[in-house]
Amino acid sequence: MISNLAVAILNGVVWGLIMALIALGLNMIFGLLHIINMAHGALYMLGAVVAWYLIELTGSFWIALIIAPLCVGLIGLIIERGLIRTIEDKPIITIICTFGLMLAVQQLVLMTFGGSPRRIAPPVAYRFPIFELQYPLMRIMIALISIGLMSGLWIFLRKTKYGLWMRAVVQDREMAVGLGIPVNKVYMWTFILGSALAAFSGVLAAPIVSVEFMMGREVLIMAFIIVIVGGMGNLEGSVLAAIMISLIQGVGALFVPPSVATIFALAFMIIVLLFRPQGLFGE
Amino acid sequence: MFLQKGKSFGFILIFVLILLALIALPFFVDLFYQTFLTELFVWILFAISFDLIFGYTGLLSFGQALFFGLGSYTVTILIRKFGLNTELSLFLSIVIPILFAWFVGYFSVKLTGIHFVIITIIFAIIGNIIGDTWTSLTGGTDGLTFSPRPFRLGFFQINLMDIKGNYYFVLAIVAISYLFLRRMVQSPLGKVFISIRENEERARLIGYNVQRYKLIAFIIAGGLSGLAGGLYSLTLKYAAASYLHWSVSGHAVVYTIVGGMGTLIGPALGTGIIMSLEHYLINFLQATDLVVGIVLVVMVLMAPKGLVGLIQSRFKKGETSA
Amino acid sequence: MPEKNGIILDLKEVNKSFGGLLAVNKVNLSVSQGELRALIGPNGAGKTTLLNLVNGTLPVSGGHIFFKGKEITNLSPHRISHIGIARTLQITSLFSGLTVFENIWTAVQSRKKFFNPFIRALKWQDVKEKTESMLELTGFKDKAHLICSELSYGDQRILEMGVALSTEPDLLLLDEPTAGLNSQESMALVKKMRSMLSGQTIILVEHDMGVVMELADNISVLHYGAIIAEGTPDVIKENEEVKKVYLGSEHA
Repeated sequence: MISNLAVAILNGVVWGLIMALIALGLNMIFGLLHIINMAHGALYMLGAVVAWYLIELTGSFWIALIIAPLCVGLIGLIIERGLIRTIEDKPIITIICTFGLMLAVQQLVLMTFGGSPRRIAPPVAYRFPIFELQYPLMRIMIALISIGLMSGLWIFLRKTKYGLWMRAVVQDREMAVGLGIPVNKVYMWTFILGSALAAFSGVLAAPIVSVEFMMGREVLIMAFIIVIVGGMGNLEGSVLAAIMISLIQGVGALFVPPSVATIFALAFMIIVLLFRPQGLFGE
Repeated sequence: MFLQKGKSFGFILIFVLILLALIALPFFVDLFYQTFLTELFVWILFAISFDLIFGYTGLLSFGQALFFGLGSYTVTILIRKFGLNTELSLFLSIVIPILFAWFVGYFSVKLTGIHFVIITIIFAIIGNIIGDTWTSLTGGTDGLTFSPRPFRLGFFQINLMDIKGNYYFVLAIVAISYLFLRRMVQSPLGKVFISIRENEERARLIGYNVQRYKLIAFIIAGGLSGLAGGLYSLTLKYAAASYLHWSVSGHAVVYTIVGGMGTLIGPALGTGIIMSLEHYLINFLQATDLVVGIVLVVMVLMAPKGLVGLIQSRFKKGETSA
Repeated sequence: MPEKNGIILDLKEVNKSFGGLLAVNKVNLSVSQGELRALIGPNGAGKTTLLNLVNGTLPVSGGHIFFKGKEITNLSPHRISHIGIARTLQITSLFSGLTVFENIWTAVQSRKKFFNPFIRALKWQDVKEKTESMLELTGFKDKAHLICSELSYGDQRILEMGVALSTEPDLLLLDEPTAGLNSQESMALVKKMRSMLSGQTIILVEHDMGVVMELADNISVLHYGAIIAEGTPDVIKENEEVKKVYLGSEHA
């Protein structure tokens, strides 16, 4: 029993750290720039799919981990330049436009990659014992990579010029323009970064859940929920909310059927939305 | 918003003509097409019910699939498991979604913007999960099949196992629903909905209880979505949990936007065109979603008022140059 | 029911704070029926917040608001509209996609108890007549079928007043009606206000001192959320503290 609990907790934390990445990406785009990107889940999926192709080509998970997000970041750039630029500030149109994009991208992947899920071999196969069970080292590594990425992001945002610019633009766009900050460039880079984070999340998730063209759909909603519960614009809040929600689902699944655990998590979401729409950790 | 006498005469004329054409159609097309058209009518009903809350009231709900699925399962389960007659089952396929819409709507309309979108999706996801897992009731992803008895109203009877009969049955109900909604959007109640869409705060300041009317719109749309679901199951003699997924709501969004939101005729037109497009394309590419996605993006960017908007601006240009 | 020239609006010790910020500070204010009370003060003094408290858009942190003798503190805006208070906003708030006719209609219609979904709205003759008389009053009869975003900004301000007036209010709250207008447009607006709003009880938030001096019966001066002076325009003009607060500048 205790080993089941320990495994569930570990799994919850690991998955939470993966979700935290995609939520951070979404929070930058949605929470900070107020752009509602329904295609964000598709970017996550693309990260996993591109990684799969790269692994087929090179056999290296690490190459995929670096290159796939770069590719998806590029796609993010195209989306931002092509679509978002034209429809900024009109939320309903953005929602619908990116929804259409999501449909198109999913279908493109279906046509090229195919409909059946494929597995990515884990980068390491070692398992170590936790109480009575064996726990895959791979998951711990994934968690550590995620933490590493988040730390990198934190440093980037706090200690670099770009990070400062981004926070200025979010606070007061007019003033940022007045201060000479290249606001359009900041928007663009934020979108690219957000997309790359979604892709990272996809690459890290791939060894655990397997890669398929629909994998973005459910994750998309989870990401929005995490961002809203954690507080829009509150990056630390997203990380906490991601881990919290994953834990509730994971540990809950030990005691009740997983679908019921998910429903409880969702019901909890509804309550947060109704009583604290600014998020649990938002102001 | 307000139609002059001339326009409403024009509408009646066109409506009757189209109706007559649709009534005559089964004598000229095969059973496969009749079934396709019957499904088309159902989706038109779903799209115009979505237009009520989105096009007219301004509420973007991706959760209408929940009520569609509920209507669909109500009919299926009542007939298959309880042997209820078709008339009562169809009636309940409106009532039960209304009750759920009341519950979901009560909480959802307290929110706005993306929060509203998300909460409606969450409710739909919960419904979807229940549908997928409560297999004893819903048959899960395999679904349930059934055979409905003929629909009886007084001396009048339609056999739904007969494709032609089914066609006329659905056509009649959808036509009536269309007229019902059309009158509603022209009515004082409709004006309240429109004012909420245009400027919620101004509507509130001049004395409209905005939350109450949002809820009313949500409930009516939920009931009609349920009716669409009920008709869908009666036509296919089948219900499945996949109809409860929020992306099904996405269909209504696409049809409505492409056709022209806030016009009723727009969603009807959009449904007809997109579904026909999908139907036609499926023979060549499997990639219907791709085309639909691209069409949606293009429409939203270039013609946010949809096809109806494009047609209207053509007429306007004609008028001013005269 | 207050007799003519009785107190129609009474604020007692009204407070509003946002977190640590005290936006409205123990305000006591009484407005008589038929009076035009101007509410002035530097930016951020709390004028708009005060209006928001009266019309229910924001809840008070303390104190009470009475209207026509009854307490209306913290009632929701739509209920307050039916009790008899109407409002225009600093940034014009209209049904921008609808025509002038439809904007007025929607406001006139709001007084009905039941919105029948089975009849055509235009069948309501009484609403139609009232709408048409409102169009006369506002001077928009021949512009009735224009989409209101096609009107000039000055016309939109007038329309908004017409929309507010269409709800048959006993008290009108006007938030900087001349904001964003040049002096010509401001004069036209003031002229319109004289003809449209005679006899109305009004609280007018304004920055344009010329307009204030011309229209106000009484002035209340707000500074950091508190009333620092109150009186007729002549009295306020001479008030030392008020002059200090405004740093000697009078906006034209």
